[in-house]
Amino acid sequence: MTSRLLYPYLRINSNRLHSNGRFNLKLLPIALLGVVICVTLYIISWKTISYFQAQNELGVILSMKIFQMIWITIFAMLIFSSMITGVSTLYLSKDNEIIVTSPVTMSELYEMRLTTTFLNTSWMALVFSLPVFAAFGIVLEAGPWYWPLLIISLPATGLTASAAALLFVIVLIYIFPARRTRDIMFYLTLCFGIFLYLVFRLMRPEDLVNPEKYGQFIEYLSAVSNPAGPWLPAGWSANLLTTYLLDRQVDWLLLGLILLTPLILSYAGEMAMMRLFLPGFSKSQESFGGNRRFGSWMTSDKAWVWIFKKELISFLRDSKEWSQLFMIAALVVVYLYNFKVLPLERTFGTVYVANLIAFGNIGLSGFLSAALAARFVYPAVGAEGGSFYLIRSSPLPLSRYIFYKYLFYAVPFTCLTALLIGASNHFLQISGPMWWISLFCATVICWTLVAMALGFGSIFADYNAENRAASMGPGAVLYLFCALSYVLIVLLLGFRPTYRLMRGWISHQNIPLIDAVQLTIWGTGVIVLSLAVAFFICRRGLAALRPR
Amino acid sequence: MNQTILSLHGLTKRFDRFTAVKQLSLDIFRGEIFGFLGPNGAGKTTTIKMIAGLLRPSGGTLSICGSDMNTDAGRCRRLTGYIPDRPYLYEKLTGQEYLNFSASLYSDTLSGKTWQAKADEYLHYFDIDGWRNNLIESYSHGMRQKLIITSILMLDQPLIVVDEPMVGLDPKSGRIVKELFRTKAAEGKTIFLSTHSMEIAEELCDRISIISAGTVIATGTVRSLREEAEHDNASLEDLFLQLTGAFELQGVIAALKNSRNTMP
Repeated sequence: MTSRLLYPYLRINSNRLHSNGRFNLKLLPIALLGVVICVTLYIISWKTISYFQAQNELGVILSMKIFQMIWITIFAMLIFSSMITGVSTLYLSKDNEIIVTSPVTMSELYEMRLTTTFLNTSWMALVFSLPVFAAFGIVLEAGPWYWPLLIISLPATGLTASAAALLFVIVLIYIFPARRTRDIMFYLTLCFGIFLYLVFRLMRPEDLVNPEKYGQFIEYLSAVSNPAGPWLPAGWSANLLTTYLLDRQVDWLLLGLILLTPLILSYAGEMAMMRLFLPGFSKSQESFGGNRRFGSWMTSDKAWVWIFKKELISFLRDSKEWSQLFMIAALVVVYLYNFKVLPLERTFGTVYVANLIAFGNIGLSGFLSAALAARFVYPAVGAEGGSFYLIRSSPLPLSRYIFYKYLFYAVPFTCLTALLIGASNHFLQISGPMWWISLFCATVICWTLVAMALGFGSIFADYNAENRAASMGPGAVLYLFCALSYVLIVLLLGFRPTYRLMRGWISHQNIPLIDAVQLTIWGTGVIVLSLAVAFFICRRGLAALRPR
Repeated sequence: MNQTILSLHGLTKRFDRFTAVKQLSLDIFRGEIFGFLGPNGAGKTTTIKMIAGLLRPSGGTLSICGSDMNTDAGRCRRLTGYIPDRPYLYEKLTGQEYLNFSASLYSDTLSGKTWQAKADEYLHYFDIDGWRNNLIESYSHGMRQKLIITSILMLDQPLIVVDEPMVGLDPKSGRIVKELFRTKAAEGKTIFLSTHSMEIAEELCDRISIISAGTVIATGTVRSLREEAEHDNASLEDLFLQLTGAFELQGVIAALKNSRNTMP
């Protein structure tokens, strides 16, 4: 009977794929983009694993360690996104008004919500992890059982994450008193932050490059070859596959655990749903709306002041939005902590490597900015929803409206970039030109990424999305792909002049004129390229927003 | 008209320290069109959401055809159709797909495909049968309202709960809705509707209740309320204003008139 509740989900997706009885050709570039990403991921993974395989026994163990880390990281991401999606789908979905008032059973509703949460949160992780795991299988010349084991483990682990998250959410919403229910997101993000921290600390990635930490090499070898996360379902999947990859043996106990866990968690979730959902749902309606009164502040009649104010209070008064700041804080802490624990003085012992990492860190901070911009800046225009008519029909030019939005988001993004670069440079003990190169380059990249997110968000604006997270469709994937390509181009073009300049500076503490000129040309090129990209995409966005 | 379909006794709803509905008691009978009137924020939608099973009462009892909402919510839902004031419809479904989905939710209570013939009839009345295979995202507000009314009326349940039925409807469709409600009532169905429109209440409802600040302050036929208020010839609007204490707005109206007269 669950199929009747899945009918809208299936029809909606089918209607998206087909328009007027034909395949929607607009989706073709997105599908091609997906294929390109999959192929790229496969090639990168293949090259990396092949490199490790070419090393001695240690290389094999390290590649297995990375394999386990990928599983645990994917599982952590799936748990968190399932928790956030679970709150939205179970308690905040607009169709609850239709479904909850009808005589469907709670177990039916649970099965439908679990299925949609699992599909919505897992499909991207599953699709894009397949090429990576496939590369492991090819390079390690996996036996015939690797592929069916992989195909079983991936969705089973995804379903475990979704079922565990839904169970957690149902109990959490039931337990907390009504007036605190709107703070649920805060607790969820806090839990995720702690979980993420624990996962990273338990995996201790820095130990992989720090054999000196161990008294004997054999201790190091045994530490890295230990199974990762034996208490995590993702660890079971990783261990099942690594055991098979190395020894060609199937651990039937692990396979049984992998298959039974989602079933047991789903059953527990269904029981919880039947007993706890309706009281929790009633509470959620009382509290997510809120009867709070708000005072007025910052009075001015300037449009930019009010656009800033509107953006800020819309964000701060929506607990679903601001609570994600905790997630960002957790990510920043993990990000910086990993720089802090890098055993620079022992493992590398050279200033060259520290400067190399600082240069790579520009890309990492760019990646983080792009991910955050996709989440917060990309949906900024669509988030106006039905009230966008007010902007369109007002005498305020759309270009100025977009510019004000840009300024609003550029400020916090610049601060975050400066913090990430400044702090990680401090931990890496960077001084001299690299400090300024990384700050300059990361800032320009950050400003461009914000402009690109706003431009793409305008082109693909979804005014009917239930919330900001829901408005991130294929356009957001396209944005991320273009953003990462832009960051890569900037870094690849800058690698050589930066390397030459830094080599001179480290050797002689001075900067040769020719290197300084090359670096200046690159810097100017970066500014020109960034301006061109930002203006081009924003203009396309503006054209999409203008009445046609 | 004596069989009680909907029975509310001491129904109370508290949101934190704010009590939205206080000790509400009503009995609504078979074949009755019952109007629920009140100023904005009086507690109408909260009451309706409790009847529809979307909110749990903080106190009191609520039963539909003898089944208690607390202990037998499933049966209560089978017997009730709920038409919200701002309906959510799946934008990417067609109208017909939405009707299929809606019928599937009540499949236990429906016999065969009779709902489809009724849906066809209502879609024809509302003049949207040509749009049934278009995506809902292309519908106007009124068309969405007509579709959701169709999706509930076609199910033929004994109790239909309607929150502001005429929002977004053109006069022709409004008239059709009124006639449909009358027909349903004549067939023995009960309609519980909340409205701001005095004209609808006066024209359509057998009995009305007026709620203010979460408390029912009057219940009866329009005639009995007139008698109660000792205004035999007063319109329902005057009665409403008197009963809800909104006559202070006379002062506001006078002030507005004065300011208009003093304009240069």
